[in-house]
Amino acid sequence: MHSPSQLKRDFLKQWLKGLQMCSYPKKEMSILERKKAIKLSADVAMASARNATSCWGLALIANASKEGNDKCLVEHLLGQESERGKMASTFQLAILHKKLRSKKIIKKSCSVRRVKKLTPRMVLASSVAKRLVKNRTKVLKSLVPGGESMDEFSLIKETLDYIVSLRVQVDVMRCLANASDLLNCKGVHG
Amino acid sequence: MNRALPEMLHCLNMPGNVASGGGTADISVLERQRARMKWQQDQHFLIGNHELNVFSAQQLHQLQGSVSNDPGFAEYVTRALKPDPGMESGWPDVGKFGGDDHLGYGACGYGNVSGIEMNYEAIARTVSCPPTVAAAISEAAVTETKGKESILPEKLNSAAGRESFKKRKADKNHNLKVVAEEDVKDKRIKGCAEEGDSKITEQNSSSKANISNNNNRETSTDTSTKENSKVTEVQKPDYIHVRARRGQATDSHSLAERVRREKISERMKYLQDLVPGCNKITGKAGMLDEIINYVQSLQRQVEFLSMKLAAVNPRLDFNIENIFTKEIFPACASTYPTIEVSSEMANPAYFQLSPLQQVVSCCGLEMGINPPDMALKRTTSAPVSIPETFLDSSCFNQIQATSTWDSELQNLYSMEFQQGRSTTFPSQTFTGSIEGGNLKMEM
Repeated sequence: MHSPSQLKRDFLKQWLKGLQMCSYPKKEMSILERKKAIKLSADVAMASARNATSCWGLALIANASKEGNDKCLVEHLLGQESERGKMASTFQLAILHKKLRSKKIIKKSCSVRRVKKLTPRMVLASSVAKRLVKNRTKVLKSLVPGGESMDEFSLIKETLDYIVSLRVQVDVMRCLANASDLLNCKGVHG
Repeated sequence: MNRALPEMLHCLNMPGNVASGGGTADISVLERQRARMKWQQDQHFLIGNHELNVFSAQQLHQLQGSVSNDPGFAEYVTRALKPDPGMESGWPDVGKFGGDDHLGYGACGYGNVSGIEMNYEAIARTVSCPPTVAAAISEAAVTETKGKESILPEKLNSAAGRESFKKRKADKNHNLKVVAEEDVKDKRIKGCAEEGDSKITEQNSSSKANISNNNNRETSTDTSTKENSKVTEVQKPDYIHVRARRGQATDSHSLAERVRREKISERMKYLQDLVPGCNKITGKAGMLDEIINYVQSLQRQVEFLSMKLAAVNPRLDFNIENIFTKEIFPACASTYPTIEVSSEMANPAYFQLSPLQQVVSCCGLEMGINPPDMALKRTTSAPVSIPETFLDSSCFNQIQATSTWDSELQNLYSMEFQQGRSTTFPSQTFTGSIEGGNLKMEM
């Protein structure tokens, strides 16, 4: 796998490519549009920089390709692999969803409820803890792209991946923002 | 071979690697385990493909070639493996467990050293190949002695985890009385380190108190099928050997459940290393909370930075060449006091944040770009080649500053909300930030 710096470089390259593509069609964009374009190209660049090794990346690309406006951007960005990648990603997501749904159905139909004989206090504590964990897992699933169709175990792995990529993204964006800030100010003042 | 153990201990320069056995083994073992876990990421992608009889002497030589950071270990490995003709014997018998103990230990040590030197932030999928080779070799070589139980089972974990193993439910019944060092051998790497941890702390005693005794819990069969499906994603139909520990039920459901739980807790440990400030929190719920907060804050930072970039560049053109050729870096020290007056910022709320930003960035940039001519040289060669230091050094500074960022960002967002300017950000992340802010305050 890449070292972090190589990942950053890949990400930056892809991102700049995407930004150039964004700016090509329209010359004048409002700040919100620009921000959206920047964020979108950053996200897609990040996801593709991971080379589809992560589930969240696929989910992100699939989500981005759903909307009409961004579709062409995503396609351009992914380049040659776009067809393959998009098909793969949507296909895999659909499969995952189906798997999950069927698993849930089977679980509900076949599970036997075993009653635990515990003291009331113990029951309360453990059930409270379980409920807390469940709630938080739900929140985490909503945060990580494509997290809904994952069981707890792979969710944690995806979160790990996602955190690392987010960090890289933030660092690169920050550097770029600061650098261009300095550039502008330097241009203004001297 | 027992006397080889102290040698081995000296070979591996690990922090806390001074276990002389017995009583002090616990702490150092735990420390070593923690350090080792830093590099044990996503091993299961590689596990399934490595059968024991795949590894030959040739690969061993490759391994030795690649061991550059621990020559003592390489020497030890060759020394230890030579008297073992049974290296390619394939799957070791059930009876010969404790055999490959010290080699497993050695392999783990090697993994540790290399892992610590790696930047663990990268999820190194391919870099871990040599340790896998080493481990598999150690597994293949069935040696005779058992060695010290307290240390070795722990090391067996990571070595054993890299095998491919099978789950034979019939075998479980035989192994009720099997002590810890035997049953860790076949576990997956994710599960076994945690197990070994617990086993060490209890010194192979009967009651495994730290594993919750929910034997009668409703463990459905689909957990085991899920595990099998997870295992089979490694392209080979591998099974999981799970053996019951003393005092534990041999029910297949509860065993599968236990394995699953341990896998999850091992992964949570990785997350603990990754998310700052998670070291003190031990409960699953608390850690999940921290993780959620962290992910949310990172996402918010991305939003914020993209907004800022949009504000700074009216035309979405980021001229990297300009950035480097204009000798920004030596000049940044002088320009940053004047940067505060940045009228291009659309939102005055961002404005307040910019001085902090500039200070942080300038510290980072100054550190990183000591030779500005290096940047110039690079730009002439390729327009998009970015000096590594530019990205790296500033990142380290800023990662540490992330914690201060969180509070700043939350203030920012609360301000925005009050001013009614929250339209630019999706409401979901925003409500998350309020919750996160409340949680942090309560804690």
